Amino acid sequence: MTTPKSPVTLDPLKRPGPPIGFGTMVTFIIGVLFFGSLAAIGFTPDRLIEVPAGVARVLSFFWPADMAYGWDRVLPAIVESIQIAWIGTIIAAILSLPLALFGSRVLFPRLARGVKLISATARAFPEILLAIYFVPIVGLGPFAGALAIGISSVGMLTKLGAEVVDSLDFGAVEAVEAAGGSRLLALRWAVLPAVLPEIVAHWLFRFELNIRASAVLGVVGAGGVGGVLLNTLRYRHFDKAAAVLILTILVVLLIDTLSGEIRRRIIRS
Amino acid sequence: MIPARPTRNWPLWIGVLGVLAAMTVWSAYGIGFSASELACNIAGGTRLIEESWPPDFGFLPRLAAPMLETVYIAIIGTVVGGILAIPVAVLAARNLTPNRPTWFVDRNFMNILRTLPDLFWAMLFATAVGFGPVAGALALTVFTVAVISKLYSESLESIDMGLPETIRAVGGSWLQMIQYGALSQAMQQYVSYALYAFELNIRASVVLGLVGAGGIGMILETQRANFEYERVTMIILAVLVAVLIIEEISESIRKRLT
Repeated sequence: MTTPKSPVTLDPLKRPGPPIGFGTMVTFIIGVLFFGSLAAIGFTPDRLIEVPAGVARVLSFFWPADMAYGWDRVLPAIVESIQIAWIGTIIAAILSLPLALFGSRVLFPRLARGVKLISATARAFPEILLAIYFVPIVGLGPFAGALAIGISSVGMLTKLGAEVVDSLDFGAVEAVEAAGGSRLLALRWAVLPAVLPEIVAHWLFRFELNIRASAVLGVVGAGGVGGVLLNTLRYRHFDKAAAVLILTILVVLLIDTLSGEIRRRIIRS
Repeated sequence: MIPARPTRNWPLWIGVLGVLAAMTVWSAYGIGFSASELACNIAGGTRLIEESWPPDFGFLPRLAAPMLETVYIAIIGTVVGGILAIPVAVLAARNLTPNRPTWFVDRNFMNILRTLPDLFWAMLFATAVGFGPVAGALALTVFTVAVISKLYSESLESIDMGLPETIRAVGGSWLQMIQYGALSQAMQQYVSYALYAFELNIRASVVLGLVGAGGIGMILETQRANFEYERVTMIILAVLVAVLIIEEISESIRKRLT
């Protein structure tokens, strides 16, 4: 009698899998794309050698930083960037709160689809492209920047807010409705108090992102510190550019730390 | 029994709301926010919309080359930045870093990289190596390191330390521990962060051209400066379509991986 042959033969010394591994294939594709791209933009090896020298040469002009210029000109511009980010975040918060509540897939299945469309469209536009349109409408300056930041933040805040609402335990909603309250009353008394802390934390996080976004809006004339940096670099005042960089780094670090601390406390309480 | 209505700490509430209101008024004043101005300029807005619609489709063929350049810049930035981000992330992970001073220095380095927005890097590199896509690729490299290293170091901090400790216990070196014990565990997160960074880079490389760092933004800047708003609309539409396609591709890759 012969023992039936096992349907699978296992060689203990050989790893199972296709002859060319998935990893090798992916590495190969990425490699081809990468070197193709390098060639296409003219990043040749001799160019590669030039780059560190060029960067080092320009960096050497950055020191010493012209801090007098920093305090006189750069700091007001950074403050303007912060104001742009703040107003933009306020606009976005006001617009996105109702959208987030009505964007809940559990509470308003039909409305939610429309809300999702609005938020996806708003998220697709980088703020700087919106600023390009707002500058001719309301004129050069920080107001255009604040509007651009506000509109482009609505998308993300709506999406995150709706997710917070959907992750809720809906017992309280059912309780309000069982006691005879309407959907809207349930929203006010059962949903809003439960989701507000987390939503406010998202607003603060978006404020941090918006400070970076508003810092670059000056490039298209929408106010803030970006225009100052562009001008100092364009006219090769590297010591002044260094002041812009140092102050921006310090202020952003400070605000990130503060806002992160506040967010942690809001979430904990 | 009905539980008592929770009481509020009214002085604290009024204080917080007061500070928020004061900041809002101060900011609104500072940036010259005015609803009446907005209302007045709605007319200008409708004129702008008329001018920028319909998009100039005849302009589309001239967008192909700069659009490709945008994608090239994003690929280079993601690949180089993604590789450089690995050591930065490992040294910044509290459980893997060899010693505390290294951790401290690397962590602060990472945070400082993160404070500067992508366009600032683009301006710096455009000044240092000249206008063009090379500056854009370098800027996105730094930006990618900043994005991936932060996220990846957090993933590394939450891995199961059993495997790395075993490797150390049987005599593996620190590098072997990192390679076989730590990186392999967080591989999936790394790939998904890299894809996320690639999406961000495509978006970012659209605007890099505004400061002369190559890609489709350079055309956008010239058409904007000439008030050719029908062409600006065309460019922005093309960008949106490209971004959506890239996101769709990277989403499908991400799904296949998990």
